[in-house]
Amino acid sequence: MNVTLNWLKTYINFALAPSELAERLTMLGIEVESIKHLGAELAGVVVGKVNAVTSHPNADKLVVCQVDVGEAAELQIVCGAPNVQEGMQAPVATIGTALPNGLTIKRAKLRGTESHGMLCSEKELGISDDAAGLMELPADFAAGTPLAEALGLDDVVMQLEITPNRADCLSLIGVAREIRADTGNPLKLPSSKGLSYGERIPTSVTIDAPEFCPRYAARVIQGIQVGPSPEWLQRRLKSVGVGVINNIVDVTNFVLMEYGQPLHAFDYHKLAENRIVVRRAAEGELLTTLDEIERELTSDMLVIADAEKPVALAGIMGGYDSEITAETRDVLLESAYFNPASVRATSKALGIHTEASYRFERGTDPGAVIAALERAAHLITELAGGTICEGVVDVYPGETPLCQIQLRPARVNFILGTAMEATEMVEILTRLGFHVAPADADTYQVTVPTFRADVTREIDLIEELARVYGYDNIPTTLPKGDIPIPEPDVKTEVRQRVKRFLLASGMMEAVNYSFCAPSCFDKIRMHEKDARREAVQLRNPLSPEMSLLRTTLLPSLLENAQHNHNHQIDTIALFEMSTVFLVEETSGDSPDREVSPTGVGEPERVAGILAGHVGGGMYKNPYRAPDFFDIKGIVEGMLEVCGVTDYTLARTDEPTFHPGRNAAVLLSDERVGIFGEAHPAVLENYDLPYKAYLFEFDLGALSAVATFSKRFEPISIYPKVQRDLAIVLDADIPADKPLALIYATGGELVESARLFDVYVGEPVPAGKKSLAYTIAYHSATETLTDKAVNRLHERVVARLNRELGAELRM
Amino acid sequence: MQEELKQIRHEVLAKLKQVQTLDALESLRIQYFGRNGKLTTVMKGMGKLSKAERPIVGKLANQIRAEWSEAFEQTTQELHRQQQAQQLAEESVDITLPGRKPAYGKAHPVTQTLERITSIFTQMGFQVATGPEVETDYYNFDALNTPADHPARDLHDTFYLTDGYLLRTHTSPVQIRVMERQQPPVRIIVPGKAYRVDYDVSHTPMFHQVEGLLVDTHVTFSELKGILASFVWQMFGAETQTRFRPHFFPFTEPSAEVDISCTVCVGAGCRSCGGTGWIEILGAGAVDPEVFSAVGYDAEQVTGFAFGMGVERIANLQFRIPDIRTFYENDLRFLQQF
Repeated sequence: MNVTLNWLKTYINFALAPSELAERLTMLGIEVESIKHLGAELAGVVVGKVNAVTSHPNADKLVVCQVDVGEAAELQIVCGAPNVQEGMQAPVATIGTALPNGLTIKRAKLRGTESHGMLCSEKELGISDDAAGLMELPADFAAGTPLAEALGLDDVVMQLEITPNRADCLSLIGVAREIRADTGNPLKLPSSKGLSYGERIPTSVTIDAPEFCPRYAARVIQGIQVGPSPEWLQRRLKSVGVGVINNIVDVTNFVLMEYGQPLHAFDYHKLAENRIVVRRAAEGELLTTLDEIERELTSDMLVIADAEKPVALAGIMGGYDSEITAETRDVLLESAYFNPASVRATSKALGIHTEASYRFERGTDPGAVIAALERAAHLITELAGGTICEGVVDVYPGETPLCQIQLRPARVNFILGTAMEATEMVEILTRLGFHVAPADADTYQVTVPTFRADVTREIDLIEELARVYGYDNIPTTLPKGDIPIPEPDVKTEVRQRVKRFLLASGMMEAVNYSFCAPSCFDKIRMHEKDARREAVQLRNPLSPEMSLLRTTLLPSLLENAQHNHNHQIDTIALFEMSTVFLVEETSGDSPDREVSPTGVGEPERVAGILAGHVGGGMYKNPYRAPDFFDIKGIVEGMLEVCGVTDYTLARTDEPTFHPGRNAAVLLSDERVGIFGEAHPAVLENYDLPYKAYLFEFDLGALSAVATFSKRFEPISIYPKVQRDLAIVLDADIPADKPLALIYATGGELVESARLFDVYVGEPVPAGKKSLAYTIAYHSATETLTDKAVNRLHERVVARLNRELGAELRM
Repeated sequence: MQEELKQIRHEVLAKLKQVQTLDALESLRIQYFGRNGKLTTVMKGMGKLSKAERPIVGKLANQIRAEWSEAFEQTTQELHRQQQAQQLAEESVDITLPGRKPAYGKAHPVTQTLERITSIFTQMGFQVATGPEVETDYYNFDALNTPADHPARDLHDTFYLTDGYLLRTHTSPVQIRVMERQQPPVRIIVPGKAYRVDYDVSHTPMFHQVEGLLVDTHVTFSELKGILASFVWQMFGAETQTRFRPHFFPFTEPSAEVDISCTVCVGAGCRSCGGTGWIEILGAGAVDPEVFSAVGYDAEQVTGFAFGMGVERIANLQFRIPDIRTFYENDLRFLQQF
């Protein structure tokens, strides 16, 4: 909402500079979002009197003017405006002036004739869009007067952010009240005393829906002349951004800004039987509103009707047919209080948002209905002539007693941590317009004025006291209470360990939106029957591509890879940790899913992608393509930092993956995650020209089995003995079989067995492969002799031969 | 024989001076002092000497050996030193060649900020609590004193789900969930994602918030000021000023917006802070009694405060990214910067 300083000063005196006032209002909770000095853009522009106009020697469309700008010498100005003529007054931008449109005025020669300034149109000055000719100024403006001053534009406009609870501040008087609370200066409210009335005109108001309309007042004014508003009124309205229409509508808008009370003027003779009925619309009833749109109404909507038909959408917009026109002579002026929820619902349902609905739905002041009506009637007769008919119609079925609140000063200080005196509290509340009376020794009885419907409880009064007392004046202390003991939190520990590990492995953390496109499941070739295709849908998505909640993190990461590849970044190593959203617990890949109270499962996942290159692409650190064992190593490390060792791997038929290069990680037959090479068709779907390796794990499932307890194992003081072992065996025997046999045979005496080579091809026979291990033998209790090691090693070889048919490779 | 020995001595010491390499030195030693060396050969004639001469020759031979030994040792060391120096010179590398830098990842700038905020509050005794992102109207609005016809709902452009649920528009519903299952004292911090229908240079449809809640038998507004001032001090540095400004939130009363002195102009007023010298970073207030009654707490027996802040906004005070949607493109050139 916009207010201007000069306008505010008509309601309260204050000696504050604009920036000071802005600071005070802001610290009262009315944030000043901007301060605009209206005249500032017109600096350098003065009133000029065109004393002589002669033709330009070298141009048909230009003339040479001699212009009086209040100085000894006249200025010679070349001008091309069609309406320039001797004796007129027009704005002159003097040399050095920077116009709002960015033009800076310089001394110039136009077609050989010197020009010392510029005569301006309204558009050039940023006053309006009128560029047809020079802005004509009244003859009584003195030449040389700064234009801003002459036009009364030397005002300051403040843009205020009014919070939803402070409907009372959606008005100049409301803001003036806040200034009163701060300064203690008295308010100067408009007076309607001394109005004279004409004859009584028959009209009536019937409220059939008092639940929607607690108060409706009306007045009739006869014999008005619709026309343009005077300059002062136009200026006021324009300065706060309200458009100018005619004197009647402008007055209602002026009073709207002044009191925050929306008013509506009907053409009295267009009301059937000249009367008002406030009722619910009939279901399907039609009304053409002022914007010439025909609206179909429902019975939840309140209309203002005459004896026959709706003439306005209550509190939102008037009807087209009863609008004030140039021919209107008699008007019926409405001032009412409508139920905020009802106005809000109707405004929302019809998509009409007006200055009136904005205020009614936040709650106007039922106590200001009459004052605003009288003020408007007064102004209308002043500006449009006519007489106010005797008698105000005021139907007030919803009148309620003023709200009374018990205030305990001790409670105020208890809540705020202050040591405010009760007398200070009384002073503050009184300045805010509350009536305060002692109730008993420790309590005051506070009566809330009608304009503060937001104040209904003691805590609301405490807030009032806090903001006027000043948040700055409330002490800054530290809490004194007990600190609750946190519960053990394995999941956070797992999350942190996994994240640290992945970062240390060279993967960058990605964060993606929780949304996905319906097409993403096909793009990763998810099984038709996969439960993860049943994603939660958004009713109002930003776009179809963001219309579902993710059920897997893999599509996002593949899209990230695609984005990076498209931007020529091909060293791709990304991971993400996030919840996914599952409609039902049917995907079966998480034993420990957290089920949301809303019925949507929100398990937390960690997923990653490796694609393009690994390495630095530099001397000594060349690029290489990642492979299955890169992603497997990352997965192994991730499980290790969670203390998970007891897992098995199993191939899966997940279509996202290469059928021969993927594995699920199983913990007691429960799948906790999957990793492997993306299927070539998936790569194609994401336009990736190289292989990509993926993993996705359930953090909840990992947390369920994670263990961080460690026990020291003695470090042997005896030397170890290393033996290499190369065996040839059937190619389809998995590498973990011989490894398990080595450990099983050597028992504690095998410190480690490292597979260092796998070889297929000549001279190894077809269908066979060669595996080479370095086995480190050691004992915790003695130095192993060569003889003992040899014996053990031979037993290992013999067992590999016996159980796997493995031959020593010569 | 003595002459012969003296001759050997003269010869070998002279040759020693010419020796250039450790190999040549070893040859010289073998040539004179080896099993078949010159000195050894001469000394084989000792037996033929007179009894009187023998001790003299023996002594002389020992002298020569001692002399040689010392000179040999010196030369060895010298040659060794020279050889090492030469080797080091040959091994010199161009130190401007690139290092073999191990790959290391970086946390996303938003989660970095989120974790930093969270850690500051956990150090002040707040426990991390979380809650669902798919929520109900009740937890997201009603229980937070924002009934259906409340104008404050206009400030939240909510994503609704087809089955009547919604995506939480703030992390505040977790307050309700925690208070429902726990009696005071409550001292929690809630980091998490929230969602609003908004998409422009300063809004993303998904964003992160950190919510805080402290409820106990006597928690005051002044303590809210204290906790948040401590936070600002730790997060933004001791020179940063904090300002509490009255505001409105349905679920707190009194409510405040908290500003910090502009990190760009240090309070002087600039474009970043709209000329005010202040930048809003969070909303806060004393827990509204309606919220307590929604969770079955007695507002006469307990008081509390709550606060919430937008993580992207705080992150961007430092990073100054012109379009915050960049956060969620996951462009590696972007992620590498933080």
